[in-house]
Amino acid sequence: MSADGEKLNTDTPLLEVENLHVEFDTYGGTVEAVRGVDFTVDQGQTLAIVGESGCGKSVTVQSIMGLIPMPPGRITAGSARLRGHEVLGRNRIDGKEIRGREIGMIFQDPMTSLNPTMSIGAQIAEPLQVHRGYSATDAFAEAVHLLEMSKIPEAAKRARQYPFEFSGGMLQRAMIAMAISCKPSILIADEPTTALDVTIQAQILDLMQDLQKETGMAIILITHDLGVVARMADEVAVMYAGRVVEHGSADDVFYRSAHPYTVGLKEAMPTNDPALQHELKPIEGSPPDLFAPPRGCGYCARCPHAMQVCDEQPPTGHFLHDHHFSRCWLHHEQAPIKPETIYFKDAKA
Amino acid sequence: MLSYILKRLVQGILTVWFIATATFFAMHNVPGDPLTNDRAMTDTTRANLEAKYGLDQPTTTQYLIFLRNLSQGDFGISFVQENREVNDIIREHFPVSAILGVLAVIFAATGGVLFGALTALYRNRLPDYLIMFLVIMGISVPSFVVAALSQLSLVAFNNLIGFTVIPVAGWGTILHMLVPAMVLGLSTMAYLTRLMRSSMLEVTSSDYVRTAKSKGVPATRIFTRHQLRNAILPVITVLGPAIAAITTGGFVVELVFAIPGLGRYFVEAVQQLDYTVIMGTTVFYGAFLVFMVIIVDVLYGFIDPRVRLET
Repeated sequence: MSADGEKLNTDTPLLEVENLHVEFDTYGGTVEAVRGVDFTVDQGQTLAIVGESGCGKSVTVQSIMGLIPMPPGRITAGSARLRGHEVLGRNRIDGKEIRGREIGMIFQDPMTSLNPTMSIGAQIAEPLQVHRGYSATDAFAEAVHLLEMSKIPEAAKRARQYPFEFSGGMLQRAMIAMAISCKPSILIADEPTTALDVTIQAQILDLMQDLQKETGMAIILITHDLGVVARMADEVAVMYAGRVVEHGSADDVFYRSAHPYTVGLKEAMPTNDPALQHELKPIEGSPPDLFAPPRGCGYCARCPHAMQVCDEQPPTGHFLHDHHFSRCWLHHEQAPIKPETIYFKDAKA
Repeated sequence: MLSYILKRLVQGILTVWFIATATFFAMHNVPGDPLTNDRAMTDTTRANLEAKYGLDQPTTTQYLIFLRNLSQGDFGISFVQENREVNDIIREHFPVSAILGVLAVIFAATGGVLFGALTALYRNRLPDYLIMFLVIMGISVPSFVVAALSQLSLVAFNNLIGFTVIPVAGWGTILHMLVPAMVLGLSTMAYLTRLMRSSMLEVTSSDYVRTAKSKGVPATRIFTRHQLRNAILPVITVLGPAIAAITTGGFVVELVFAIPGLGRYFVEAVQQLDYTVIMGTTVFYGAFLVFMVIIVDVLYGFIDPRVRLET
């Protein structure tokens, strides 16, 4: 967004990702997994990155964390700045480690994301030993405290147990305790509730919100569950085929959706409100092949409002107001149609 | 943990009893007996000898006598080497085989883990290709070829130096033991290397290693704390059978290097149908291996917490 020069006047955001491009070499050719992603995250805010499988959500955050295996992965362009310092390709900024210290991360499947032969407490204690120079005993005591913060009962006893003695929800709590152990400024949660059942999901999300209030950290939440987004997010970035297609506040994206893909996602969401008479409408077709990305808009082939230009040229970004952004030709001043399902700049809210 | 060990011990004793029984009846069903040899023997002499050794009794009676003696730890007297107690044979020669075996296992296990981890680390690069080529050689070339070749190179080496640094054969000092132990452990090491490599590759791409990276744990610490311990589990699992293969498979190596181990007696006894020595060495080896497997299983419990509770 800062590329358009509209946000630089205020103080620099906590994390600013600009024009990120990531490729992977595979036997089938080169996959352009991320093709120019921009977003910002502010302190204490929650950014949700939404999109279907393979749209580049996870690759984006893993690039920031330096978790992309290289080779076969490759960051070909772009930058990610934490408090103005470049983090891509670095291990530390300002003398502090990025991973574990500045940014903590939790993953989709807590069952396999913890080391089966190491006690929970020792695993939570590890970042403290590595980044803060705690002794093993001190770090373990702090780990027990962190488990208590994550609302795990009998934390002292639990800390000595191993992952196989924990349930999925408990493991995700332990993962969160581990990720926040060094008080990071950002917590990245990569589909943290996908592997858990619904009641546990709510508890984990509550825990993340509580911890955010206590520590003031920012959260980047990756999900494909719009229900989770509505519950958690301050800001939403909708990704499709390796690009951010719509970005704005949660209200903007949900109630003033300005991209046909966002509208499609909303229509494909089941609802239990009988008054809405809402028919579940799937988005026809499948995402484009990122081995050979389309010349124009990635969503063109599935878009009900596709125009000639959509197939020929990649859409430019359009700001509906200073915080709400859509990458769609429909918002261009020469666009011939204004479908009523799409929100436009001069429309009455 | 204690009840687990106890349970394993009882199972072990049952296994040894089964080995003893199976060997006993199999041995008695082989045509001929210990008294059949080149020497001419009158029927009276034969009958007297049979009576002396109890061979005239029905097999079941002999079996019961054998079991009673076994429970007292008495394997009897050798038929072929007269007046030599089987217990003495084992006592004199087993320590030699055991030392050789233990050295070979240590060599195989450390080498296997080390080279396996190394090949995984350098996957699809020169060290990986080189080691994996040697591994295939180690698995496919039989031990007597390796033994002969290593003796040949030892001779050349000693000639080059001018005096005997490492003896070519025989037994006594640690220098005697080194080369035979390496030859004996070679194929096991090659096998363990392959196992360790695949298990290490699996662990390297696992979710929990990614988690460790996301915590900012340095690569060396990830390797020692997260990868090694998990990758070594399958290696430990096969270590029990590997010990079995090494200690019983030592016969050829013992022969080539002129080592006074138990293996020679084991094989000769079968050829001569020396009942008591066959029974003694078989049951003893069996008990030894069962004991080793139990030790490995207990060790496994210490490394993998998931096994500890499944008692």
